[in-house]
Amino acid sequence: MRQPLYIISACSISAQHTYDAETFLNPVVTSGNGQMYVIDPDYKKYINPVAIRRMSRMLKRGITAGMRCLDDAGIKTPDAIIVGTSRGSVTDMEIFLHELIELEENALNPAGFIQSTYNSVNGWLAMLTKCPSYNQTFVHRGFTLELCLFDAMLNLAETTETKHYLAGAFDELTPEYFYIRNKIDYYKKDLPDSFHLLEHSNTPGSVGGEGAHFFTVSNNKENAACALHALDMLHKPTAESLQQAVDAMLAQNGLTPDDIDILISGMNGDSRTRFLTDPVVASVSPRTTVAVFKHLCGEYDTASGFGLWLANYFFSKQSIPAEVVYKKGTSERIQNILFCNVTISGNATLMLLKGV
Amino acid sequence: MAERVVVTGIGIISALGTGIHEHVNALKQQKIGVCPISLLRTIHAREFVLGEIKMSNDELSSYIGLPTGDNGYTRTALLSLAAMKDLLSETDIELLRSEAFAFINANTVGGMSKMEDIYADVLKPDTLQHNIKYIDTLDCAESTERVVEFYNLKPFMATISTACSSSSNSFIMGARMIRQGLVKRAVCGGGDALSRFTLNGFYSLKNVDKKHCKPFDQNRGGLNLGEAAGYCLLEAESSAMARGAKIYGVLSGYSNTNDAYHPTAPSPTGEGAIRTMKEALNMAGINPSEISYINAHGTATQNNDSAEGLAIQHVFGTKPPPFSSTKPFTGHTLAAAGVIEAIFSLLAINEQILIPNLNFETKMEELEIAPLREYAENANLQHVLSNSFGFGGSNVSLIFSKA
Repeated sequence: MRQPLYIISACSISAQHTYDAETFLNPVVTSGNGQMYVIDPDYKKYINPVAIRRMSRMLKRGITAGMRCLDDAGIKTPDAIIVGTSRGSVTDMEIFLHELIELEENALNPAGFIQSTYNSVNGWLAMLTKCPSYNQTFVHRGFTLELCLFDAMLNLAETTETKHYLAGAFDELTPEYFYIRNKIDYYKKDLPDSFHLLEHSNTPGSVGGEGAHFFTVSNNKENAACALHALDMLHKPTAESLQQAVDAMLAQNGLTPDDIDILISGMNGDSRTRFLTDPVVASVSPRTTVAVFKHLCGEYDTASGFGLWLANYFFSKQSIPAEVVYKKGTSERIQNILFCNVTISGNATLMLLKGV
Repeated sequence: MAERVVVTGIGIISALGTGIHEHVNALKQQKIGVCPISLLRTIHAREFVLGEIKMSNDELSSYIGLPTGDNGYTRTALLSLAAMKDLLSETDIELLRSEAFAFINANTVGGMSKMEDIYADVLKPDTLQHNIKYIDTLDCAESTERVVEFYNLKPFMATISTACSSSSNSFIMGARMIRQGLVKRAVCGGGDALSRFTLNGFYSLKNVDKKHCKPFDQNRGGLNLGEAAGYCLLEAESSAMARGAKIYGVLSGYSNTNDAYHPTAPSPTGEGAIRTMKEALNMAGINPSEISYINAHGTATQNNDSAEGLAIQHVFGTKPPPFSSTKPFTGHTLAAAGVIEAIFSLLAINEQILIPNLNFETKMEELEIAPLREYAENANLQHVLSNSFGFGGSNVSLIFSKA
C-alpha cells in the first residue's frame, strides 16, 4: 500500500444511536430476542416523497447513509461510488421469491426483483449525486466493505489529483433471514440481553445484526481524523496464519505491538470463531486497549463498517466509551489502531489505522 | 508507464458448448445455443427459448469430478467450476499456486437457482437435511469461494455484482492490480445459472422475447436469457513473454462509468455509453476509426439497443466498424455476458473472423446504422471493442488488441 486512505467523514445507520454521533450510547440499545435491527433515521431528508413510498428499507437506508456521509464531508458529487453488500436487499429478495412461489410465476410485480439487484443502491447514489464516474459493487461476504476500501486505494493510486470517493457497505436482517440462518447456528438460541453477548462465548452463534456504513475517503488528508494505512483479507485463516498476518502488517508499517493503542476486535460471541479472536486479543501489549462492538451492532457480513465507524469515532473524539472496552490498556493516546474482524463464514480482515 | 496486460488463458462454458474449440466452431457455423427449455423447471417452459446449457447438475458434477446428487454445490458454482476446469486444461495450475494472483469473480443472483427450489422447505420447521447444506449458498461469493477451495488456491479474491456488466468489471479490477504490480496474474470473469427468479424478473419488466431475440432490429421484442461462465487469465506481458505463453490479445483499454439517470433504463441518448467508449479508446490510445469490430451489448430490449445504437453512431459516425450482438447465440448470460463477449472478441481477433448479428431483418428507425449480417473470415482485426451495460446505470467498455 503506497498511500494512506484518509477518512474524511463517516456515517452509520445501526442498532445504536450512531446516525447522530453526539447521542452515541446515550442510551445503549439492547435486544432480548437475538436480533438487532437498526434505528431508522428520517429518510425524507434525502429522498423525495414519491420515490420513498416505493423503496424498501434497505434502499432508503443505503441511500441515506451515503448521502449524509457526503453531506458531512461537504461533497456534492463524489469522484467515484464504491459500495458493497453481502446479501443485498433481503426484504426485496424475499418478496419476489414468495411471489414467484405463491403466484406460480404469474403476474409478478417487478419492484422486488429490481430492488434486490445488488447494485441498486449504487445506481441511486449515482443519480442523486449526479456522479457519472467510476461505480462499483462488491458482494463478497466478510470481505465486502474491505474490498470497497481496497478498490478505492487501487483507483487513487492512479491519480495525483485530490479525489473524494464515497465507499460503504450495507446489509439487512429480516425475521425470515434470522429464522433460516438459525438452522445453521448463525445465532444464539437464547440471548436475553444482547449487551452481554460476549459472556455467552462458549456456545455457537452470535446475535443477528444489520446496518449501513459509508465513508468519504480521499488521498488528501484535509479534514480527516484518521487514515487507513494497511488492509489485509484472509480466507478461512488458521490462528497461526492470522497472527502471522498481524505481525507482518505491523512490521511492514514499522510498528511493534507496543505501538498499538487500540485493538478493535470483531469477536462475536460465537464459540466457533474464538480460535481466531482469542489469540489475537491475548497477544496484545499491556499498553493496548481492546475494544469490541458486535454486542452493539450485531453480527453480519459488513459489520466491520460499524467497527471502522467506531475507529473513526475514537480518533475524532480522542476517547473510548466504557461500553466498548473489553480490556483496558495503559496507553493514554489514540494514534494507532489495529482492527481485526472475523465473520461466521470464516473470513478475517485486518485494518491498520493511524491518526492524522 | 504501466505494463501491458495480456490474456493468456481462456475457460468457457455456455449454451454453445465447453471450451474455445466448440465456441469457435459454433460461431463459425452460426450454430445457435438459444433453444426451447428442457432443464429449467418453470411453468413458462413451453413459451420461451433460453440459452440453456444442456447438462444437468449431475452431469456438470461428474464433468468436474464431484459426487452427484445433493452435493452442496449450486448450479452457479458448478458452472464456475466447469469454466475454471476448462481454463486449467491449458494453464498449469502451479502458475496459480506458486505466485500471488487475484481471482476476481462476478455474479448476479448467487445460488438462486437452488434456493428457489428449496425455499418453501427451508421455511418449514423441519427442513430436509439435504436442503440444509444449501442454506448458505444464496450469496454471490459462494461460487468464488467454491472455486478457490476446490482447486486449493490462495488468491486475493473478490466478487463483483453490477448486474449485466459484472464480469467486465472484474477485468478492470484484475488489470489494475497487474498494472500496479500487486499481482502478476489475475483470473477474471464470472458466471450465472438460469433461474426462475431472473426469468420472471425480466419477464415482469416486459423485457423478454418469447421467440429468438433480434438485437438492433426495429421489431425487436426483448432479450432471451442464457446461462454461462467464463474466465480469462490476465497476465503482465513480461511474465507471459518470459514463460512463452500463448497470448490471445492485449487488454489495451477499459472504462467504467455510470449513467446517473435511472434505476433500470439507460440514458435514452446513450450519453453514458458514449463516455464509456470514449474513455476506453483514450486509454488504448487509438482513434474510433482504428476499431475493427464492436461486440455490442445488444440485449434486444427496446431501451438498450436504442441507447447503444445511438451511442455507437455518435462515437463512430454513420459508417462505424462492423458491430454485432452475439446474444442470439448464447442468450443474455447476465453476470457472465461481459466475459463471454470478451472471449468472443478475443476469438474474433485470433481467428480473424467477424461474427454476425443473427436474426436481424429491419433497420431501426432512429438509427442510420445497422449491425453486421454476414459472417466473414480474413477480417484483419486489430482492435475490438466490447460493451457491457447494466441496471443501476452501469457502463463498461473493454478494448482488446491483437498481440
